[in-house]
Amino acid sequence: MICAGIDAGSRSIKAVLLDTARQQMIASGLTDQGVEQERLAAELFEKLLQEAGLARSRISAVVATGYGRNAIRFADTTITEITCHARGVHRLAPEARTIIEIGGQDSKVICLEEGGRVRDFAMNDRCAAGTGRFLEMVAARLDMSWEKLAELGRQSKKPALISNMCVVFAETEIIGLLADGQPLPDVVAGVQNAIATRVSALAGRFVSQPVYFTGGVALLPGMARALEEALACPVRVAPRPQFTGALGAALSAAAKPPDGV
Amino acid sequence: MNSAPRQLNLDQWDDRYEQLRRDGLREPAYGGPLRRHVVREKDFRLQQLRFDNSPAALRLWNFLLTENQRLHQARAAGHKIVGTMKDLGTVPVMAYALPGLRAFYPDGAWWTPCLMECSDRLLQKAERMGLDASFCPARAMLPALVDGGHFPRPDLLICSSGAVCDDFSAIAQRLEHLGHSILWWEIPRRRRPAAGETACALPGLLAAPQIQVDCVRTELQRVGRALGELAGRTLDDDSLAAGIRAANQVRRRLDSLRRTVYSAPAAPLPALEMLVAEMLAIHFCSDREETIAVLDDLLAEVQSRARRSQFVIGAEAARIFWVNPVADLRAMNLLEELGGRLCGSDFMFSHALDLIPENLPPLEALARSAMADPMVGPTDDRAARIVRECQAGRAEAVAVSRIPGASHCAREGEIIREIVRREIGIPAIEIEIPPVCDAMLPSLASRLRAMVETARSRRAR
Repeated sequence: MICAGIDAGSRSIKAVLLDTARQQMIASGLTDQGVEQERLAAELFEKLLQEAGLARSRISAVVATGYGRNAIRFADTTITEITCHARGVHRLAPEARTIIEIGGQDSKVICLEEGGRVRDFAMNDRCAAGTGRFLEMVAARLDMSWEKLAELGRQSKKPALISNMCVVFAETEIIGLLADGQPLPDVVAGVQNAIATRVSALAGRFVSQPVYFTGGVALLPGMARALEEALACPVRVAPRPQFTGALGAALSAAAKPPDGV
Repeated sequence: MNSAPRQLNLDQWDDRYEQLRRDGLREPAYGGPLRRHVVREKDFRLQQLRFDNSPAALRLWNFLLTENQRLHQARAAGHKIVGTMKDLGTVPVMAYALPGLRAFYPDGAWWTPCLMECSDRLLQKAERMGLDASFCPARAMLPALVDGGHFPRPDLLICSSGAVCDDFSAIAQRLEHLGHSILWWEIPRRRRPAAGETACALPGLLAAPQIQVDCVRTELQRVGRALGELAGRTLDDDSLAAGIRAANQVRRRLDSLRRTVYSAPAAPLPALEMLVAEMLAIHFCSDREETIAVLDDLLAEVQSRARRSQFVIGAEAARIFWVNPVADLRAMNLLEELGGRLCGSDFMFSHALDLIPENLPPLEALARSAMADPMVGPTDDRAARIVRECQAGRAEAVAVSRIPGASHCAREGEIIREIVRREIGIPAIEIEIPPVCDAMLPSLASRLRAMVETARSRRAR
């Protein structure tokens, strides 16, 4: 049986095809998010089917997750990112007890029990300061890619202190720091630290180890280290971090979920 | 006249109302179709809500939504109007013990921006008066009082201060600065009695040093004198004792309602109507006797449904304990739309649901009741009660809704979550709900849905 999971995030859409018999991802891909979410998701889905040499009729079930999940009308059902990331990370790293996911629009801390069951979770809902949006803003302001930005951050000797809680004010602060001659790598590392600090505040005192970091931001060098410092514990980047949500959705599609959703 | 319990939108209630009328529905003077509140009062939010379909719920809503008219009518009839601010269930008991006084809760204006979908611009007016979004939406009270466009200007304004939320004190101070005289009474932060101190048992399994209760009693005595002067009659112990007994009638009905609804295998009444009903405990929606009648109707309906095993929300729904009232009423509907139901609540005035002791001198009893206010004590006390009630209601998750800008909410939610998780090991999430939550509905829905999913997955295993 082949099942599909689609994670319609705020910045990109990720999709996974899962061979449930072999418990293997047979195809995965992502595309930038846009206004026409369903069309973009459908195109990505078709592309994966072609790559895998499968007809649409071979897909037993499709589950959509992510903030745009309700726009994916060809999905059989929708499940939240909390459940899907938990399932996806648990499949890839069964020992995980805390999942940190930093997305483009929000960040999440998910606490797992043995067996991968979600014990509790927290999501930021106040501002963009603890999300990938902060990095996007900085990258746009500096006219460089995320990857280049992250690379710069690794060169930092003394990360700058970004004190503003608000992304908009922080942008002004960053411009001020650069104007004052602060080295760019230090400013970038300062931004990464600011995001990590916000996420650690979200996590509160409930961080059980091992901690796994997932979501697209986890791919950026320097972010895991910034989180380790903020949380004062080791942080492992989940395998294929940008696909854990879609994988969790595919896993949910594979078996009738126990929660009936 | 009865039909199977379900939730109706406003359009469906129009038809339901006509049907009920044809079937001989008898209503109080403030009755009528819900639609008229949209047309006349511009309560546009009603168009986005789903309501219980019972005549008892219709009465509840009409009672709630006609409070301002009731106050104007009372003023016209020569009654004195008392605004009791930042006081959740103490001074109104005293005011209603005197004939010719009507107490109300100006802070209740915090629901006006929600109900009117901000069309009255109260929050913007509050900003112009120096109170921006960093304050609790209760700031809507300020322009409402200053402009006098919603409820009549009170003959006496009473406000508690001390261990209540900082932003409310700031709002009331601003009001006073604008020329509205306020009678302040002080309530200390509740602490546990130290060794050697005389302890005083409070409702809700709490305790405080007797010296703190004495202080509050003295303050309430001063408030009582002011109320007596306004009424032209001394507030004596007999009148106050009668007022306490009447307030307890309300509280007993609410207790029965809560026990019936929250302990039922499925929900015989929706979360939204439970929130509104519980709110009646604070100041009786400006009519204590009618509050009792409204609750009697509601209780009869709920008990009848429970007997017949007829429910609005099915037994498969995740049992959610809800903490704090919501600035946008839509959030309570949303919980149920996403697969949850209420199995308990702490809308921040749990002390106003506890019986006021009737075997004590009345002012002492009221002082003890006031000192049991969850807002004046440590969050640990509040969390301990939440834990007890979660256990009683077999809660599967706790939702702590933050009120944007409310100072008491700043870190309280995290403490409550931590204690709930430690003591009973169920998920506890925190969400922020602004007065109109439409813009953040997807993310709010995501959180609530994830909570329900988590609760259900834990049930299944």
